[in-house]
Amino acid sequence: MSIISINNLTKDYKTTRALKGVSLEIEQGKLFGLLGVNGAGKTTLIKILCGLTKKTSGTITVNGLNLDSDINSIKQIIDVSPQETAVATNLTVLENLEFFANIYNSCDKEYLNNIINTFGLSGVLNQTAKTLSGGYKRRLSIAIALISKPKILFLDEPTLGLDVFARRELWKIIENLKGKITIILTSHYLEEIENLCDEVAILSKGEVLKTGTVEDIKAQTNTQTFEDAFIKVVKDYE
Amino acid sequence: MNKTINFAKRNFKELLRDPLMYVFCLGFPIAMLFLFFFINKYSGGNTPTFEVKSLTPGIIVFSYSFIMLTLALIVSKDRQTFFLKRLYSSPMKDYDFILGYAIVGFIIGILQTIICLLTAFIIALISKVEFIALPNVLLLFVTNLPILILNICLGILFGTAFNDKSAPGICSIFISLSGILGGCWMPLETMGGFETFCKFLPFYPSVYLGRITSGATNALKVLYKFDGYAVVAITTIFVYMIASVILTIFTFKKNMVSDK
Ligand SMILES: Nc1ncnc2c1ncn2[C@@H]1O[C@H](COP(=O)(O)OP(=O)(O)O)[C@@H](O)[C@H]1O
Ligand SMILES: [Mg+2]
Repeated sequence: MSIISINNLTKDYKTTRALKGVSLEIEQGKLFGLLGVNGAGKTTLIKILCGLTKKTSGTITVNGLNLDSDINSIKQIIDVSPQETAVATNLTVLENLEFFANIYNSCDKEYLNNIINTFGLSGVLNQTAKTLSGGYKRRLSIAIALISKPKILFLDEPTLGLDVFARRELWKIIENLKGKITIILTSHYLEEIENLCDEVAILSKGEVLKTGTVEDIKAQTNTQTFEDAFIKVVKDYE
Repeated sequence: MNKTINFAKRNFKELLRDPLMYVFCLGFPIAMLFLFFFINKYSGGNTPTFEVKSLTPGIIVFSYSFIMLTLALIVSKDRQTFFLKRLYSSPMKDYDFILGYAIVGFIIGILQTIICLLTAFIIALISKVEFIALPNVLLLFVTNLPILILNICLGILFGTAFNDKSAPGICSIFISLSGILGGCWMPLETMGGFETFCKFLPFYPSVYLGRITSGATNALKVLYKFDGYAVVAITTIFVYMIASVILTIFTFKKNMVSDK
């Protein structure tokens, strides 16, 4: 069953058309990857789904709710870790977590401790966010996004700018979340998509060129590696 | 309301941990009060504008413009780091955001007023002059409320409308205007046409009302009193205040869902 249905979505910024008729079905409980090079329109799509940017045309339903009329109900069941880490820089890790917990009136201490453990944050709880390394900032950002116990979690470029170790660590954490909630993850790293995602949509210049599992896409393009498949899909289209 | 308080708490913590806040909101007003005290003392001590009763209401009004700067900085930074957008995808409402910032501006404003008054009191002790009577000290908080609200709104407005690079520039223009056109250290009452011009901006009316409250005398050695102009002053400052509230709410709502 689809938890997100996107039908013929377009988005025009002042000078560019960032999304050109995108249609997607995302199944409940899946880790869905949006793969595309910089400027493909991934962030724009996420922002529209979170109600942070207005779409130009098209219809979207999230969990059976219409995005245009029910955005406030949708906001209750989604959360996002934006491309920019977007945490309160002068607050400590713990203060950040508690601040966001208060927004959702969730005083579930056990759940909070659970998150702290899952993300390995117990050692940095009293450190201000601005002093954290890139990897820990990302962890905090994703941890924050989970506090509201969302049904749907958006991760926009979760490992952008991280070193390989921090990336692998984060992959493990994301791997752990799989199956529990629906996750939509964007990335321009092929190996990230290949390692984590149940299903992939390849986005290029505002259009969805292909959807399916990594294996499907490799088979359809008759290629050995996902990288070759990706290049073939994008090149063929051009 | 819980969400508003939660957000206000965060903003307060964020500001308290920012050294710039202390420089602007504490350091400046204290330094200005002492600066004019010394100028007055070493220039013969007969500049009415620099007398404690006259100077204090002026400096209080002027110091509120630093609250505008502080708020503009935190709002524009919250936008730039995407923190605000992220919160916008939570069930927080527009009024939670605006009030969450405004409450903090208000608290800092009250603290700043207390500190200005304490500093002025010390100066009055040192220079052995009469200080503002206690009931009038309390009344000053009320008289200053509209200009404080105006500055709070302008801070949120500039932080919302401009990015963290240009907001400080816009604010510093307003800070200068507030200092010069407020008649804080310039005897506007001797300047004829220029005074008339300043009377219809928000700064001078606030200082004027403050000086009525504190019982100051102007540069022409005339006691400030509740005259015909005071009524115009109250009207003027209220018009600016209400306009700024409306404009801020409107701009905030509009910008939060824009593509910027
Ligand atoms: N706020 C904006 N105003 C104008 N153009 C934008 C804005 N945000 C993104 N774009 C343009 O839309 C296109 C898609 O951008 P984006 O969604 O950020 O891509 P991605 O996240 O895949 O890198 C790009 O061409 C980008 O320049
Ligand atoms: Mg992006």
